[in-house]
Amino acid sequence: MSQTVPEDHVTVRSDPVDANDAVVAIEDLSLWYGDFQALRDVSLTVPKNQVTALIGASGCGKSTLLRSVNRMNDLVPGVTVQGKIHYEGADLYDPVVDPVEVRRRIGMVFQKPNPFPKSVYENVAFGPRLHGFKGDMDAHVETSLKRAALWEEVQDKLQQSGLGLSGGQQQRLCIARAMATEPDVILMDEPTSALDPIATDRIEELIHEIKQDFTVIIVTHNMQQAGRVSDRTAFMHLGVLIEEGPTERIFTNPQHEMTERYISGRFG
Amino acid sequence: MSLAHRNDADRRRQEAKRARGRTFVAITFVPVVLALALVATLFADVITDTVSWQIVEPAYTTESWSFTEGFAFFSTWENVVEKELVARGEDPAVVLDDPEERRKFRLRNRVELLWQLDGAPLRYVVTSSRDDTVADYGFFEGLRQLDAIRAEAGEGQEVRLNPWLDAAFLTKNASRTPVMAGLGNALIGTLWVIGLVIVFSLPIGVGAAIYLEEYAPDNAVTRFIELNIRNLAGVPSVVYGILGLYAFVRVFEFGPTVLSAALTLSLLILPVVIIAAREAIKAVPPSLRQASYGLGATKWQTVSQVVLPNAITGITTGMILAVARAIGETAPLLLVGAAAFIPRAPEGPLSTYTVVPIQIYSWVAENDVEFAHVASAGILVLLAVLLVLYGAAFYLRRRFERSW
Repeated sequence: MSQTVPEDHVTVRSDPVDANDAVVAIEDLSLWYGDFQALRDVSLTVPKNQVTALIGASGCGKSTLLRSVNRMNDLVPGVTVQGKIHYEGADLYDPVVDPVEVRRRIGMVFQKPNPFPKSVYENVAFGPRLHGFKGDMDAHVETSLKRAALWEEVQDKLQQSGLGLSGGQQQRLCIARAMATEPDVILMDEPTSALDPIATDRIEELIHEIKQDFTVIIVTHNMQQAGRVSDRTAFMHLGVLIEEGPTERIFTNPQHEMTERYISGRFG
Repeated sequence: MSLAHRNDADRRRQEAKRARGRTFVAITFVPVVLALALVATLFADVITDTVSWQIVEPAYTTESWSFTEGFAFFSTWENVVEKELVARGEDPAVVLDDPEERRKFRLRNRVELLWQLDGAPLRYVVTSSRDDTVADYGFFEGLRQLDAIRAEAGEGQEVRLNPWLDAAFLTKNASRTPVMAGLGNALIGTLWVIGLVIVFSLPIGVGAAIYLEEYAPDNAVTRFIELNIRNLAGVPSVVYGILGLYAFVRVFEFGPTVLSAALTLSLLILPVVIIAAREAIKAVPPSLRQASYGLGATKWQTVSQVVLPNAITGITTGMILAVARAIGETAPLLLVGAAAFIPRAPEGPLSTYTVVPIQIYSWVAENDVEFAHVASAGILVLLAVLLVLYGAAFYLRRRFERSW
């Protein structure tokens, strides 16, 4: 079922994030694909070194919101954006901001593992090479793979194709590749939806570990996953941010009736 | 509901339906069988046409040498000619050591692997342009009447089974004498023309494909260009010949040269190259582009480092097929001035030239029946080249096709 959201809905916020902890602050963001409005006045503050989960039914705009943060939506023809996303004192949608630089600082991991049809080594080295990395590339690749908990498994096959790895390994390779460009924020768009439960476990563990160095925003369809990996959760419906707050609070004591119904599995 | 037939009427309807299906399959199968039969006939005809029985009256009483006696890497010619001259009681050094004598001998004589009925199969013989072909019989005709033909051969004459297509055929040049004629200059001409075609059409074709696929705005102008490229791919090649004659031969004054031919053929295959390259670029999965953009790559970095490397197999396959078409083209080159007979191989883009299909065309037009065998040998070479190219394209497609 889909329930309409009233025009004047105000996002329910519990335990709001302190502005000093914010890395990314989305402010009144609206987005249209052609005539279709996919996001309606979304405001969300993402705290540093924490995992923020975006949940909601299919088509609720959570992926769109995620892709707005590193301006991947710019690549879709016919997209218009209104509002601001503050990052390091600048507005990401300010015309002077270079989307290419934004994507270097805010990395992304996709739904389906998408390693390049190149060697494991070249996959990780791709980003640093693009940005003129000067230094010991071997060491950098090794560090990145270790951070993605993949080094042990691939150290003997660095020169083999990344496509030869298992699905879970490929996804960790993609995470290593994203980390290799030294971003501040890593966006994950349903990173485990194509993986089996064991591979999913490993990715979730990994997300726990990397939040010491990175800020993570993750879109997930899997409520248990949101509960396991995230510190804060934001629930969206039909392009509107219904409620956000600490994950525990959202899952045990949702304030809005729609959130409560989604969490308890009564719609979506 | 049960899957079994409910009653007889139901079953009859089912069977009638199936019978109609079988008839339809049979009807579609007929043209396939016909086509295969035609191709087989064509090949059989061309191949048997390259072999003929001949009664020859040699200008010299020649010896012959077995394959093991005559063959030598890179110097079979010298080896056999030396043996022949010794057998004639002449001093081989006189011919072989003097460049001028050597050139003259080479113009008049040819070392051929022939089946002489008296000797063992496939022996090396030095034939001469002064050898007189008394009679020429087709392969099957000769087989049927072999005894009659042998009886017909008089004193000083011999019966040979001449395979017109041999190694020497690929190096000998055009000649008025059928036995002396070969593809040499035409092959070099084709290499020059096709080499330049690749140089011109690959960068332009791939560049246009990249622009149309990755950069061009989706507007009326772009759609107009796309429509025209598709239409140009279907324009008869002779029209390109007229264009080439006017533009390159006359206006740019390149004359009837390799350059004019290469430019004309490049125009001819460009639409095909562009369409193939666009398909290959389109086939690169969006997820890879996204991965690249997600790492902060610019458009050009994504195109050059992700899209092109992954499209290169498709582009190469398309290019090979386009080049195969260009190799076989005859009509436009007749218009832009390929010569039927050229005394020496082209030495550069501004040389006069001939190409393999033109050479074959001119042989087919000759009166002498022996030239039909020469033409068949040429066709066989052309088909072999095309077969290799198609095979390469097929192999590339199979070997590197990827599922993402």
